[in-house]
Amino acid sequence: MAAASRAVTLPAVVEELLSEMAAAVRESARVPDEHLLLLKFVFGSSALQALDLVDRQSITLISSPSGRHVYQVLGSSGKTYTCLASCHYCSCPAFAFSVLRKSDSLLCKHLLAVYLSQVMGTCQQLSVSDKQLTDILLMKKNQEA
Amino acid sequence: MAETLKRVLSPGRAAGPREDMAAEVGPPLLLLGGPGSGKTALLFAAALEAAGEGRGPVLFLTRRPLQSLPRRTPAALDPLRLQLLCSAHEARGPAPFLLLLDGLEEYLAEDPEPQEAAYLAALLLDTAAHFSHQVGPGRGCGLLVALQTQEEGDSGDPLQLSLLQRYFPAQCWLQPVAPGSGQRCFRACLEPGGLGPRAEWRVAFQPDGEMTITPWPTQAGDPSSNQGPSSGGQP
Repeated sequence: MAAASRAVTLPAVVEELLSEMAAAVRESARVPDEHLLLLKFVFGSSALQALDLVDRQSITLISSPSGRHVYQVLGSSGKTYTCLASCHYCSCPAFAFSVLRKSDSLLCKHLLAVYLSQVMGTCQQLSVSDKQLTDILLMKKNQEA
Repeated sequence: MAETLKRVLSPGRAAGPREDMAAEVGPPLLLLGGPGSGKTALLFAAALEAAGEGRGPVLFLTRRPLQSLPRRTPAALDPLRLQLLCSAHEARGPAPFLLLLDGLEEYLAEDPEPQEAAYLAALLLDTAAHFSHQVGPGRGCGLLVALQTQEEGDSGDPLQLSLLQRYFPAQCWLQPVAPGSGQRCFRACLEPGGLGPRAEWRVAFQPDGEMTITPWPTQAGDPSSNQGPSSGGQP
């Protein structure tokens, strides 16, 4: 999977960590322990939850023939959340609260899981039609409120 | 798109070679100002400037007729404009290389939840990113969005504004200044989001509606000023 190019950049330390992890995966197909430790240091418990989501194959990259794509993450509660990864958005309540309202966190676990799955090159892939992708993007808006 | 806005604001400087400018997209830019501060005029001027470059289509989204006075119409605002962003990938034909949206405050007023505002901002970025992908490597699609703030330069809801600033690293503020001889004057202050120094211009609207833009006069004694006959001496 190509390296993510983000419209909203994360703090430099996070971007650097993610690109170092990607390089390590390319070289040795695994993430070194020191990167995992750094991940836990930066993100706390979200790191473990995000890694768990990756392990459980909970992330799906949905793309259409146009090339446009979104991510969906199956959360631990069984609900599916939609993430616009490059634009730093997740539909989960934690994102709305911790990231947007309180600015406590940089990311929710779902967004972190998406970034990790990009780095590690593991996620489910689903192809939909252009129209279906429109509905996914639109429906997401109606689900909130 | 900070670069396009800068070219609109400083037409004299754009006389140089354009090839290097073509590659530069710049961060998404939020244009802020109170009612009647000239956001729509500037946004539209940027659209015309970009369209005139002949690089491709420019997509301008607005709910109001451009020639109308900036009064909010009580008629039902069309929520389906969001459909345009969500279905942008369905359109055939060349992708725009500049996406402009006027009146972000109207979309936000429909749903004041922070998550909705974030989603709208993220969707705008995602649409521009998709167009960038279509336009091809080395070029990109810029994003310019106008947001009306309260009168008197008050930014209104600070939470909503800081939320939007997450998604729009560059901002240009339009603030009214004391008018002179029938003109309406505004100070345009561009913060390019870390990619360059802050820059300021004076935007004046004549009674006949004509817009003139001049660089904001620098302070007297400013060592970087190149105005005045003898600029060699440093204070």
